[in-house]
Amino acid sequence: MKAVKGKYYFGGVHPRGMKYLSKDAPIEVMPAPETIAVSLSQSLGKPAKPVVETGQEVAEGEIIARADGIISSDVFSSICGVVTDIKDVKGACGTDEKFIFIKANGKDDKFSFPPLSDPSPEEIKDRIKQAGIVGLGGAGFPSAVKVCPHSRVDTLIVNGAECEPYLTCDHRLMLERTDEIAEGARYIAKALNVADIKIGIEANKPDCIKAFEKYSDIQPVILRKKYPTGGEKQLIYIVTGRKVGVGRLPADVGVAVFNVATCFAVYEAVKFGKPLYERTLTVSGKAVKQQKNLLVKVGTSVKDIVDYCGGENSAPKKVIQGGPMTGVALADYAIYTHKTTSGILLMTDTEASADEPTPCLNCGKCADVCPMHLMPMNTAFYSSAGDMESAVKYGKTASCIECGTCEYICPAKRPLIQAIRKTKAYLINKITPQAESLRTPDQKGRSAPAVPPSVKNGKKEENNG
Amino acid sequence: MDNTVVVSAPPHVKSRRTTRGIMLDVVIALIPCAVAGIVYFGALALMLELVAVAFCVATEFVYFFIQNKGFSNKCRNAKAVCRRWVRQFDFTSVITGLILALIVPVSVKWYEIAIGGIFAVALVKMFFGGTGKNLVNPAATARIFMFLSFSVTMAKYSFPDFANIDFGYLSSGATNLSSLLGKNPETTLTALDLFLGTGVKGCIGETCKVAIIAGYIYLCVRKVLKWWQPLLFTAVFGFTAVLMSGFAFEGGYKFDISLFLPHILSGGVLFAGVFMFPDYVTSPKCTKAQLVYYIIGAVLLAVLRYFTRLETASFVILIMNLFVPLIDKYVRPVPFGYRNSERPKEGK
Repeated sequence: MKAVKGKYYFGGVHPRGMKYLSKDAPIEVMPAPETIAVSLSQSLGKPAKPVVETGQEVAEGEIIARADGIISSDVFSSICGVVTDIKDVKGACGTDEKFIFIKANGKDDKFSFPPLSDPSPEEIKDRIKQAGIVGLGGAGFPSAVKVCPHSRVDTLIVNGAECEPYLTCDHRLMLERTDEIAEGARYIAKALNVADIKIGIEANKPDCIKAFEKYSDIQPVILRKKYPTGGEKQLIYIVTGRKVGVGRLPADVGVAVFNVATCFAVYEAVKFGKPLYERTLTVSGKAVKQQKNLLVKVGTSVKDIVDYCGGENSAPKKVIQGGPMTGVALADYAIYTHKTTSGILLMTDTEASADEPTPCLNCGKCADVCPMHLMPMNTAFYSSAGDMESAVKYGKTASCIECGTCEYICPAKRPLIQAIRKTKAYLINKITPQAESLRTPDQKGRSAPAVPPSVKNGKKEENNG
Repeated sequence: MDNTVVVSAPPHVKSRRTTRGIMLDVVIALIPCAVAGIVYFGALALMLELVAVAFCVATEFVYFFIQNKGFSNKCRNAKAVCRRWVRQFDFTSVITGLILALIVPVSVKWYEIAIGGIFAVALVKMFFGGTGKNLVNPAATARIFMFLSFSVTMAKYSFPDFANIDFGYLSSGATNLSSLLGKNPETTLTALDLFLGTGVKGCIGETCKVAIIAGYIYLCVRKVLKWWQPLLFTAVFGFTAVLMSGFAFEGGYKFDISLFLPHILSGGVLFAGVFMFPDYVTSPKCTKAQLVYYIIGAVLLAVLRYFTRLETASFVILIMNLFVPLIDKYVRPVPFGYRNSERPKEGK
């Protein structure tokens, strides 16, 4: 179908894309590393419960931990080897996460579910659950929950925006696996019983838009080049004109959103019965020798990935897991990738910002660019004074999607996202008992990273790793 | 990986815009006005500009020095304090000094503007916490302070005897208005004269509207200013002033739109609209609140000007600045997807 233009939304920023670094590198399969460490917290919600023991042999794709509750997902071994250890290690956020360490034993056993040809909607839903598929865009919401919406869904939106700077893995995936993504989207549409499939692609990827125009049942939508166009609520508004209310889910307005990488994973799970244990990610930034798009096993250490890409070019200023706008800055390389890791960025001094904050000018730029139309400066002001009630009331922090546009634009370089997270942590503690029950010690860091008590008066926390 | 990586909350890339850069842009935008003032009023204007800037920067430095020396563990010696001052120096005090020099008449003595500069930076800005914390516009407040303290020199506009054409003509009705528009051969002031500032006597930087518009265009190009703000302000002011001046005609109310240009081009309306009303620190934070602020400010300025026959821009700025926290409190943007029927619970 011919591509159409999406609606305009207010707010958003235009960071330097830096996609040229890696957008022409085809997806490369990274050889399996010697050892992997698979985290049990691969999705939102509770971590999975391990079903293997130390010393047990596991095949590639064999289940090693089972979902605990609804908002959780199964975890699979991504190499064939022996479980060497199950222990708590510091994760990317600095909080403890349980990892299963697996060492390769040289064998090449593979486990997969029986392939489905012409599956029924129920079979697809079961397979998405079995294969442990989560939203690969970054949030890691279990897809099995999304394909069983509580209200009628009439539109499926495939998210191919990839509005984060640097990241190009979805771009490459859309170019190289166009048919597979389209087929995966059709499977999801079948499971949801919707006929209307739309794919939103940012205007800076004209080749992808062209590639998706050839299908008669998929409508490509051109999105303006702006960050955060790929945010779920923004994307739904751009594509359908519907506004998802505060604290509501896309299904409330009859929409389901799936990332292109998720569609690809669904395709592989349904067609070949392959569980989700590897994903594409971008290795970029000017401090790494070769910028690449890699197909990486879940649980590969950042060190192995950087070494595979030729190591450091120069000393990096920041090492980031994920995109530069929402990713997590790492303190060292002994961090293992998750299902949701979409990039490893090694940024030089000139790329990464580590400016000292200066006094707030009340310029209101943060409010102007906020895609949710909030007042981040108020949140920052009141939370630094300890007045959380006012921070929530005047900053409307509860609606924040933590896209980072406010802090990006801030001329005073105020740590706004940190203040917002601090306020959100307060909110979670205070008003949502359900959220409290969902949160386990392992999960605290992921849902709302705790701000150490040493951070006062909005001073930026800078640890030397 | 060596030990130099930085760990912080996202985002990890930020725009290159800094406070210092923005303030430097404002200084650059003020330069045409300063130059036009020197051209029209001579070396005396240059001297006043230099004195004002020097005293404002010096006051900020002295305040910073006293505040930091000896009290902070980091800054035991004077050299360290100076280094720290240079590192944190944004051009706000330069702007304060320059604006203050541009909104006073050239007849002001050098020590008077020096006192004004010290008042602006020390009392209005630094006592409230420095950059970003002041409640009211330092330059406007200092101008009022000078107006009340040195009323003789402040009210004596050097060449002709009026600063603002409109209080010259409005007091005597319609005849002088036509003279203003060039119909009376005795005075040759036209709207073009007002626009260029030739033959118009007033404050140093406010007379040449071309220079102000040049500064406005620069600020818009650099995206320091939202382009609609001064336009909205001057338009609302002009229409209100035209409406009000209808009462001044002899023989009943008369709406005369041809007075629009003389109204907006006389006095300090344009200068205030471009450089003083949109001041980040003392204007509201969100677009909606800014709309309210500009409209009320413009109407208030027109009304006060009609009744007082004085240059009231700085008073209006002061009054509106004090209303900003109130406007900010009640005029806030509606969050995306936030409907009145479905207000989210926010821990209230």
